[in-house]
This record gives sequence, structure tokens and C-alpha cells, in this order.
Amino acid sequence: MHIPDGYLSVEMCILTYALAIVFLVWSWKKAKAAYSQSIAPLLAISSAFVFAAQMINFPITYGTSGHLVGGTFLSILLGPYAAILSMTIVLMMQAVFFADGGIFTFGANVLNMAVIGALSFFLIQLLIKNSKRKGWLFSSVFVASWLSVVLGALACGLEIGFSPVFSNAGGIAVTVPAMLFWHVLIGLGEAAITTTLITQLHRLQTPILNSLTFLRGSGQNERIP
Amino acid sequence: MKGYLKALVLTLVCLAILIPLASNAPDGLEKVAETLGIEEHEPIWSGLMPDYTIPTIDNPYLSTLLAGTAGVFLVLCVTFLLGKLIVKK
Repeated sequence: MHIPDGYLSVEMCILTYALAIVFLVWSWKKAKAAYSQSIAPLLAISSAFVFAAQMINFPITYGTSGHLVGGTFLSILLGPYAAILSMTIVLMMQAVFFADGGIFTFGANVLNMAVIGALSFFLIQLLIKNSKRKGWLFSSVFVASWLSVVLGALACGLEIGFSPVFSNAGGIAVTVPAMLFWHVLIGLGEAAITTTLITQLHRLQTPILNSLTFLRGSGQNERIP
Repeated sequence: MKGYLKALVLTLVCLAILIPLASNAPDGLEKVAETLGIEEHEPIWSGLMPDYTIPTIDNPYLSTLLAGTAGVFLVLCVTFLLGKLIVKK
């Protein structure tokens, strides 16, 4: 879902950069207030893992593939604010060193994958409310990670559809359904991988999931097993 | 800290195993562009390791594995610094 340079109009690049910067400043401030202990090692290894996972494309159908985005996964491990920052670094390294995703379209990619991905944390929170049942938690993770990819694709479809390169080919009436069609399927892969990772981390009783007690305030730490 | 090291080694081992199995088919967005007949422009910036390869290494597996490993360590270092900055008093 990484948008390369040339797909978006100048206006769309400016708009998406501005929105991305607003979210980054917000998550930076929130993250600064949220962590009482060092999350540096956990942040580093989980981001590095997501970078590696994004390299591995899985086949979907009709000669199309997808890969894990990992926004929901990171947000469960790190909380939504650090997850936005972490995913932004992953996207930045991909754009700068690997030419995966453009430089001018970086803002759009941050919105579609880092921001929308990490905000799915709040959907999980909403879905599980006070439920202590593990099965319900894992189902919520499945739904949230699927939706994060579908909504990211919707945003991407709108961004490219409103830009001249694609608006001459039919605009959002074409790009949005096409993006949604593929990402409804790719999202299932995202959901399967994310849910597997979280269940396994939970089964291994790793202290990683408990480390969310690092989060101060807003009651986030009570929500996750 | 030992657990983190284990996770890092596991990540690199998985990467080494899964690279040859990864699909080369276009991803969702590339497929949409392809269907609509939109060509990707010559990139204005192609990075040091374009398409996750190291241009000077001929073997495609090694080239991608080394590029991936470099990327893993790059992300590791930058996000570690980020983590330190977040909690800095």
C-alpha cells in the first residue's frame, strides 16, 4: 500500500503531510506523557520485526499479493501513540533507503498505515470494554487489524482518486472500490497474522504484553491481559 | 534484555527462511495501478537499496537478505533512540 512518488497531486501531498504532522505532534506529546519506564528495547525490537515482516509478501488471488502492515500489532505492544511514531520510522527507513513509498507521498503513507493502523487500538478498547474473556479479546484484535487495512486502503483510494494521474482513469469511483476489493482480502492476511502473533505472545506468557503497564493514565493498562 | 535478543535473532532467522517463499506478485495498490494502465514514474529517489536489494550483489537471495538485515538494524537503532527520547525527563 506504499504510494510511490508521482501518484499524488501537489495539493494532496501538502494536505496529507499537514495531517500527518498534526497526528505526529499529537502522538509525540501523548507518548511523552504515557511512559514511565524505558520502552526503548521493546519499541526497537517490535519496529524491527514489523520492518522485516513487511518485506514478506503473501499471495492473495489473481496474481496479487499483500504484506503485513503491523499497525494494530504495534499498538497492542506499545500503545497507540508510540505505535504511530514507530510505524512512521519504519516507513521513513523504507522511503529513504529502499525507495519503498515516495518522499513526497510520505505524509499520505504515514496517514494510511501509521495513523490509521495505530488508531485501531481504540477500536479494540471499545470492543472489549470490560470483558475479561480472552476469546473476545482475540476476536477484537482480528476485527481491528482487518479494519485497519481496509480503512487504510479506503484513504489510499481517495488520495490517489482525487489526484490527476488517477482521476483521468476514472477517479475515486474506480480507485476506491478497486482498493477496497483487494484490501478486504489482504486485510484477512493482516488479521490472521496479527491475531496469531498476539495469541502466541499471550500463550508464551511473555512479559511483553504485561509491559503495557508502562502506560500511565487513561486506564489503558487494565485493558490488555 | 535476553528476551529481546532472542526476538531479534528469531526475526532474522524467519526473514532468511521466508525471503525465498515471499510472493513477487504486485501488491494491492500496484495491481490497481496496473489494471488502470498507470505506469510508475522513474523514481526521483531510488534509495541506497532499491527494491530491497544491494545493487553490487548479484545473488538475488543474498542481496535481499543483506538489504533486509541492514534495514532491520537501521530501524532498530533509530527506534531505540526514539524510545530513549520519549522517556527522557
